Amino acid sequence: MIEISQLSFRYREGAEPILQGIDLTIPDGSFVGITGAAGSGKSTLTYAFNGIIPHCYPGDFYGSVTIDGLDTCEASLTDISRLVGSVCQDIDSQMVSSVVEDEVLYGLENFGVPKDQVEGRIAEALDAMGISDLRHRGIAELSGGQKQKVAVASVIALKPRVLVLDEPTAELDPASSLAVFELLARYARENGTTVIVVEQKIALLSDFADMLLIVDGGKVRFQGTPSEVLEHSDELLEIGVNCPRSTSLVNRLRARGLVDAPAARNVDEAVRACKQVLSGKGVSA
Amino acid sequence: MIEFENVSASYDGELPILRDVSFRIPDGDFVAFVGTNGAGKSTTMRLVNGLLKPSSGQVLIDGVPTTQLRTSQLAAKVGFLFQNPDRQICCSTVREELLFGFRAQGRADAEAEAKVDAMIERFGFDGDAEPFLLNRGTRQLLALASIIVMEPPVVVLDEPTTGLDFRECAKVMDVIAELNARGTTVIMVCHDMEVVADYAKRVIAMTAGQVVADGETFAVLRDRDVLARTHLLPPQVVDVSLRLVEDGAVAAASPVALADTLDEMTDALAAAAGACERTGVR
Amino acid sequence: MKGFLEYVPGDSLLHRMNPVAKLAAAFLLVIACFATSNLALLALVIVLDAVLAVQCKMVSQTLGLAKAVALFSLVLALIALLFTPQGDVLAQLPWGYIGTESVAAAVLIVVRLVACAVPLFLVFYVTKLTDMANALVKVLHVSYKYAFTFMSTVHFIPVFMNDMAGIMEAQTARGVEFDGGFLKKIRLMMPLCVPLLVSSVRKTNSAAIAAEVRGFNLRTRESGFKEYPFAGIDFAALVAAATIAAAAVALNVLL
Repeated sequence: MIEISQLSFRYREGAEPILQGIDLTIPDGSFVGITGAAGSGKSTLTYAFNGIIPHCYPGDFYGSVTIDGLDTCEASLTDISRLVGSVCQDIDSQMVSSVVEDEVLYGLENFGVPKDQVEGRIAEALDAMGISDLRHRGIAELSGGQKQKVAVASVIALKPRVLVLDEPTAELDPASSLAVFELLARYARENGTTVIVVEQKIALLSDFADMLLIVDGGKVRFQGTPSEVLEHSDELLEIGVNCPRSTSLVNRLRARGLVDAPAARNVDEAVRACKQVLSGKGVSA
Repeated sequence: MIEFENVSASYDGELPILRDVSFRIPDGDFVAFVGTNGAGKSTTMRLVNGLLKPSSGQVLIDGVPTTQLRTSQLAAKVGFLFQNPDRQICCSTVREELLFGFRAQGRADAEAEAKVDAMIERFGFDGDAEPFLLNRGTRQLLALASIIVMEPPVVVLDEPTTGLDFRECAKVMDVIAELNARGTTVIMVCHDMEVVADYAKRVIAMTAGQVVADGETFAVLRDRDVLARTHLLPPQVVDVSLRLVEDGAVAAASPVALADTLDEMTDALAAAAGACERTGVR
Repeated sequence: MKGFLEYVPGDSLLHRMNPVAKLAAAFLLVIACFATSNLALLALVIVLDAVLAVQCKMVSQTLGLAKAVALFSLVLALIALLFTPQGDVLAQLPWGYIGTESVAAAVLIVVRLVACAVPLFLVFYVTKLTDMANALVKVLHVSYKYAFTFMSTVHFIPVFMNDMAGIMEAQTARGVEFDGGFLKKIRLMMPLCVPLLVSSVRKTNSAAIAAEVRGFNLRTRESGFKEYPFAGIDFAALVAAATIAAAAVALNVLL
């Protein structure tokens, strides 16, 4: 379980705190999606989970972040890394190897995974990301989507309790973005791993996350299941966060009194609501 | 007018990235190229402004092959916004950055200065600001501004909204839409099908270096066969409409089956519900 | 220069050799090339270079590299030709003359640089950087921090070259004409170092953080999964390279 209490952070060069008094509890095994406008503090919030603040960026850190009881201020970054695996935004500079297999091996070596387990861990991680066939390929020749899967595999090989990803699909096309989310969701479900993803692509988050956090001005403005959060589509728009079109569609139908379905998180739910409208059963008498 | 005549292209002279691609884009068009990464979209963009020359066939700009145009002539005809503004921005102030293109093409005169000032005014920039200290969205706008201040008749945009938040995306796209409304030809690569649906007039779908479909935006985005071949997801409203037809909830020629946008779909559903209940619009 | 200094996967004999042996042998050949002025011996090294290139199926890369090195050394050779008046006079210059010895010196520079550069660069094409760093740590007991720094530096060369190519492309699209003379090109490239610098600082910073969260600080000599034992072929290569180096030094002393 992750507990954040009264967390505020100001970068040393920043005039204003980028995070302001955040309180948050994330149960084990959640798939958390974080989004918000540029400069809202959403990336910095992920740095709080993996210890990059306060360990890598200097600044004023108030409040506390504990991960399975480990206080990130007191623990070293290395100790936090045993619990929290991070996939950074710039995957090209994250890679240390020239071949896929070695990239996955790197963390295993560092964390001293017993040598008789190494082979199994590599095979498992590559399989979980669906890239077993890329094992001996050079990283430079891979596509963006393949590289992203390698980056995730190299972290899940370490079997972290929590996985933090900063805009993992920023450079990817829609098909690869969807594939990365599907693989992540399946892995997390099978292993009980908590996943925290920052994303600009709200449609993907709404579809996959079971908890959505909307950050604005360094505070968590909305928090809940996607349906709960997407109810506030107008307020979200005001703080620079759009909704998936499925959500907008159902919200509009509801505004016209045609249906009283909850906010749709994906196309499936929107189709269901539309069918209710069409069959004349959109609104219960 | 941009014309591709049986164009093939490759980076190393061996592996073909583009194979026998033909299309023409008349003045004032707004075309979105869609497809997965590696389908050949970015290569096509590079060919449009002559950064890459075809290995066979030819690319014509207003009837002249790109192979016969100098770099500065190409730059004057086709403005190119790259995905990453940080590769483009290289000056120490916003104003210098906007003047850079004029300098490169040797026409930094009083007229150019006036255009730069007008652009600073229009975008609300601080002319003396240091570009690298601006946030990502503003840097993208600056990169765009420094291209359109040159007033090229054609602009090419390689994923103009990648990495931007919703508001920044809308800002950038509105500038582009306005440009197109005033006659500039817009050619863009875009992965966000909602943006494509909202702004493009025409879509060219590519896969494995070839054109799979070329037509009016929604004609292409509604074609399940094309979408499957290019690994694309339709815009969500179109998806809902297609699914309602596929599931037999509405007839193929009904307004719901033809609704492309949020407005059309809401109205069509309201009308259908009203007709169904025979109670008129509630 | 796509893929410059980037590992090319393969399973040739050179690929499979011990990284330390490869590196040491390459350095011995460099010593040999600089110790001797004997063209026959240098020619022998060039033949050896060719054999190595064929062996690891890297002929086109090697030719490209040899061409680049030759062009670069041509500049040095030209300076030697014009400013070291030695031997019989071949042509008078306002400030001296070009002599037979000047020509010999110029040729020697080109041949020597090409001969010694090829094995050194080939090592990078046929050796994974991680293997090189790990082997240095395991076999030579180099501190991992230094090995990693070295490895990251080489690793970033293609990344930066790629960045530079992208930046130049973006400027070309704005009408900057790089296709001029060498000096003009350099002058035009200077201001572009700003965006390159900005992206490098960002990249190295995030690379450092990425390494740290993957347990960089825990790494010791024992961490490496692979062992790098010396095989017969490694000893043979070292002996061969050492023999060439010794011959070069001996010839220099004797002649």
